[in-house]
Amino acid sequence: MANKQHVRVKVNGRDHEADVEPRLLLVHFIRDVLLLTGTHVGCDTTNCGACTVLLGGKPIKSCTLFAVQADGRELRTIEGVAANGKLHPVQEGFKEEHGLQCGFCTPGMIMAACALLEQNPHPSEQEIRWGISGNLCRCTGYQNIVKAVQYAAGILEKQNQ
Amino acid sequence: MAIRIERTFQIQEPVESVWKFLCDPKKVASCVPGAKITEAVDDWTYKGLVRVQVGPTVTDYKGQLQIERRDDQNYEIEIIGKGQDLRGKGSASMKMNGKVSILPDGRTEVSSVSEVNVVGLLAQLGARMINEVSNKVFAEFTANFRARLEQERVCGGTPPTTQSETEEPQPIDAPRLAMSVAKESVTKLVRQVFKKSDST
Amino acid sequence: MLQKTSPEIGGMGHSVKRKEDLRFIQGKGTYVDDLHLPGMVYGHMVRTPYAHAKIGAIRTEEAMKLPGVLAVITGHDLEKAGLAWMPTLFHDKQMVLATGKVLFQSQEVAFVVAEDRYTAADAAELVEVDYDDLPVLVDPHHALDPDAPILREDRQEKSNHIFHWEVGDRQATDGVFQSAPVKAGLNAFFQRCHPAPLETCGCVADYHPATARLTVWETSQAPHAHRTLFALVAGLPENNIRIIAPDIGGGFGNKVPIYPGYVCAVVASLQLGRPVKWIETRSENLQSTGFARDYHMTAEIAAERDGTVKALRVKTLADHGAFNAAAQPSKFPAGLFSICTGSYDFAEAFCEVDGVYTNKAPGGIAYRCSFRVTEAAYLIERAMDVLAQELKMDPAELRLKNFIPADKFPYRCPLGWTYDSGDYKAAMNLALGKIGYRDLREEQQQKRRAGELMGIGISSFTEIVGAGPAHTFDICGIKMFDSCEIRIHPTGKATARMGTKAQGQGHETTFAQIVAQELGIPVADITVEEGDTDTAPYGLGTYASRSTPTAGAATAMASRKIRAKARKIAAHLLEASEEDLEWEPGKFFVKGAPSKAKTIQEIAFAAYTNIPAGVEAGLEAVHYYDPPNLTFPFGTYICVVDIDKGTGEPKIRRFVAVDDCGNIINPMIVDGQIHGGLTEGLAIAFMQEIAYDESGNVQGGTFMDYLIPTAVETPNWETDKTCTPSPHHPLGAKGVGESPNVGSPAAFVNAVVDALSHLGVKHIDMPITPWKIWQILKEKGVSE
Repeated sequence: MANKQHVRVKVNGRDHEADVEPRLLLVHFIRDVLLLTGTHVGCDTTNCGACTVLLGGKPIKSCTLFAVQADGRELRTIEGVAANGKLHPVQEGFKEEHGLQCGFCTPGMIMAACALLEQNPHPSEQEIRWGISGNLCRCTGYQNIVKAVQYAAGILEKQNQ
Repeated sequence: MAIRIERTFQIQEPVESVWKFLCDPKKVASCVPGAKITEAVDDWTYKGLVRVQVGPTVTDYKGQLQIERRDDQNYEIEIIGKGQDLRGKGSASMKMNGKVSILPDGRTEVSSVSEVNVVGLLAQLGARMINEVSNKVFAEFTANFRARLEQERVCGGTPPTTQSETEEPQPIDAPRLAMSVAKESVTKLVRQVFKKSDST
Repeated sequence: MLQKTSPEIGGMGHSVKRKEDLRFIQGKGTYVDDLHLPGMVYGHMVRTPYAHAKIGAIRTEEAMKLPGVLAVITGHDLEKAGLAWMPTLFHDKQMVLATGKVLFQSQEVAFVVAEDRYTAADAAELVEVDYDDLPVLVDPHHALDPDAPILREDRQEKSNHIFHWEVGDRQATDGVFQSAPVKAGLNAFFQRCHPAPLETCGCVADYHPATARLTVWETSQAPHAHRTLFALVAGLPENNIRIIAPDIGGGFGNKVPIYPGYVCAVVASLQLGRPVKWIETRSENLQSTGFARDYHMTAEIAAERDGTVKALRVKTLADHGAFNAAAQPSKFPAGLFSICTGSYDFAEAFCEVDGVYTNKAPGGIAYRCSFRVTEAAYLIERAMDVLAQELKMDPAELRLKNFIPADKFPYRCPLGWTYDSGDYKAAMNLALGKIGYRDLREEQQQKRRAGELMGIGISSFTEIVGAGPAHTFDICGIKMFDSCEIRIHPTGKATARMGTKAQGQGHETTFAQIVAQELGIPVADITVEEGDTDTAPYGLGTYASRSTPTAGAATAMASRKIRAKARKIAAHLLEASEEDLEWEPGKFFVKGAPSKAKTIQEIAFAAYTNIPAGVEAGLEAVHYYDPPNLTFPFGTYICVVDIDKGTGEPKIRRFVAVDDCGNIINPMIVDGQIHGGLTEGLAIAFMQEIAYDESGNVQGGTFMDYLIPTAVETPNWETDKTCTPSPHHPLGAKGVGESPNVGSPAAFVNAVVDALSHLGVKHIDMPITPWKIWQILKEKGVSE
């Protein structure tokens, strides 16, 4: 067994530390060590995006990063999206527009959508589709997910006025 | 995954020394990146290892090379190789027919026809790449072959091996090869599309 | 007639927002891999890279030496417990762990158990297996050749032939063909594909030695059936087995069978007395679990010169892989493929199917298709277009001419099904209007003159869902009824449980809506639970669009039983006779005196506090529903495609989907299903295939090669509805989840072939990649 390395990661605003094998994937660190199981694993070739989290605000696939690479950095997972028990507009959008069915791709989608709207508060439909093109969904056909993001964009715009 | 690979190259060395070199599996293996002979069972049977890496997949084929037929008169050789992956990821087998001949201009030509069959993980992941990777491997092999034969002639005897026999065989780094392979494939396609002659 | 309820109650027809969403949007779902139990260990499967080989020795010593490894189970170990083989869902058996030989690449050979995932994976690489290759059979057309390698040496009959099945009148059909003036047909291959739900299969098997109780959390679409099969096969007492199907990340049929991984996890847990988790990787999922389709079909239609169809003849070669693990009702080796006469009024028809073994992953499961209905619908809709092309007739006109007329229902087709209701013309006309068909055909003429490629594809499918009536349907002997149990609590809230198990279909909302419809209790006050065999009434699970037709019906019937008892209690409370009471959703009132009323909540309270004489306390009911027939949803899909002459890329310009599933519970949810199913159909038509090379290597075994459409490839889907209720269903509802996957592949293919038909193209097999189209364009001399 390889030597373990000490990592310190700030996740959803809270500090965490652990001793991990260098080869431990970030997604397994999040799910099995921190027990934050909202981030999911859907493939083994970095194609599906179910594992999407925000690292320093940028959406990344946590299955393609090692936990040690997140040492000293800030992570945001789906569990950190709602603030003080209040749903984020993106989450509301998914509920209002029926943007989910089985729910498995949803956390990754929401993280990608949050990052997209952070960068581009008024995306066109095409920009939304490109923005979530790293996240696969088998149930919804994406149509309502696009609507969910548009709904959220509308709410965020009103909030910022 | 059955692939037929035909290769020919010319070399400015006398036919006898080329033939002698080609009939020595240890020397030939030393020219193939990632390969080494581990044991000479007898004059016709050898055991060896070949390491191939495609992305994160490292396949260590361990197996046997058998010289089926050797015709010193006509400079023809038939070799059968079979290997299984040490980690249960598959197998590969190869039947190669090699021939050395003299060209009218005095140069020696080495031609080979190989039928390769790959089973397992490599065939799944590397299927598209196998043909192109074999091109690259062959190019390296040819370069090594020429270099070693030249060294032999110049140094008059067995030159120091480029790879120590106790050293770990360096894997054929397919992604590195693949990048240059991909670039070459695209170039080829572009040439085809614009109907320029392919100058290989 | 269903009374419309208020939006607050949220009965049938309301687009109630989903109750299950709250946990999913916060990442608080509980999928099997989310479970962390004290002492839990991990299993990893050792798989063979060979498609056909004898197994020599299996050496596990090196693996066992690795710190943290607890066990390595081989087929030899399972043999001792009589578990090396297990029955499939279809009259066959399959190896749990290989003994003697392996039959497909990625087949399970050994199961390693270790303290953590990574150690288990490391140990799996250290297990050494000696193989001796055997000749590989991957082409089903050669399975019956005299020199074909015999794959299943365990069977008495040494042949690769599994079954021959036929239905219809061969003689009468041949007779019609002999005299028919027009005959047209095609060979169509429906390629092997895979449901690929985003969550792979897995389980946590937890055996407690102290209580001798086994709990298995499983990605199972049919938990009760699994429990019974575990009991029968493993000899464990059924009352001590609990299967819990928690939240499931998509099923699409992939999660119906029992997989070797589940069995190995159970065995390991029994052996170690600790919870054992087994979660497969995506590669394992694509390469070894239930695939779909792989049907080589031939259809011929005999018709009059004016286009009236007279007879249909179908012959199919079914490739089942190494074991017949098809998940379908036991009397139907080709599932409900005999729906292949589709929406058309054929006088005669004959259909025969032969199944064979090959060195590929086992199965033939129903991938969002009610057991082979996708293959059947694809075949007939392609054949109709081929006939239209032959007759130089418009494909919409040909269909309209041959639809089973609306007044001919219930309609008995020549292959034995009695369709409950349908109005195919209405759906077709709505679709044609919506897409602007006439204008599109004119545009196509103009484009053709200008050398542009544009196509319109129609699919007017009828499908058959809701298996099924006890007299004909069973899986492994268990009849295909379904169930619902409802309990109304003193404060007027309700808990309802069914024998089905949603994997995204929204039952927590839709089934609550059925109770809301029948009893007037608001959806918000009803909790729906499925999936725990300790609490849910027995059912056959969710697949083949059967839930609304069976469990939905059971829910309505159980609700009506409750309403009948509620009437008694209301009569007692209102001091009136039961006959003098009228019902409106949520309350009983005295005829002519609407102020003299009792709400269902008041009645519920009284059921525990003020019980009439001779009546039991409580307000609950259970109903097991045996459907009298299946239901026959239908629709017309129209696809408009433009083909890029330079790259061969087909671009979907528009797609209109008109569906008819009878009375709808939740329109928002139905539309979501349609969107998802059409996207799956898009993928199948243009992108996907699980192919095998001649050595049996899987091509398409990861998401790098087995392509799932992203939001960029997926167009906007335009949906609409007609409504032809099912006459036999208590709510007039039919199933619908699978219709889009059933009907759409033909629409896509018909559109592409239509775009190229003026060049002489008659058929292109799926997946229709840009490469295939580009090659055809080159061949036909089409240049940019």
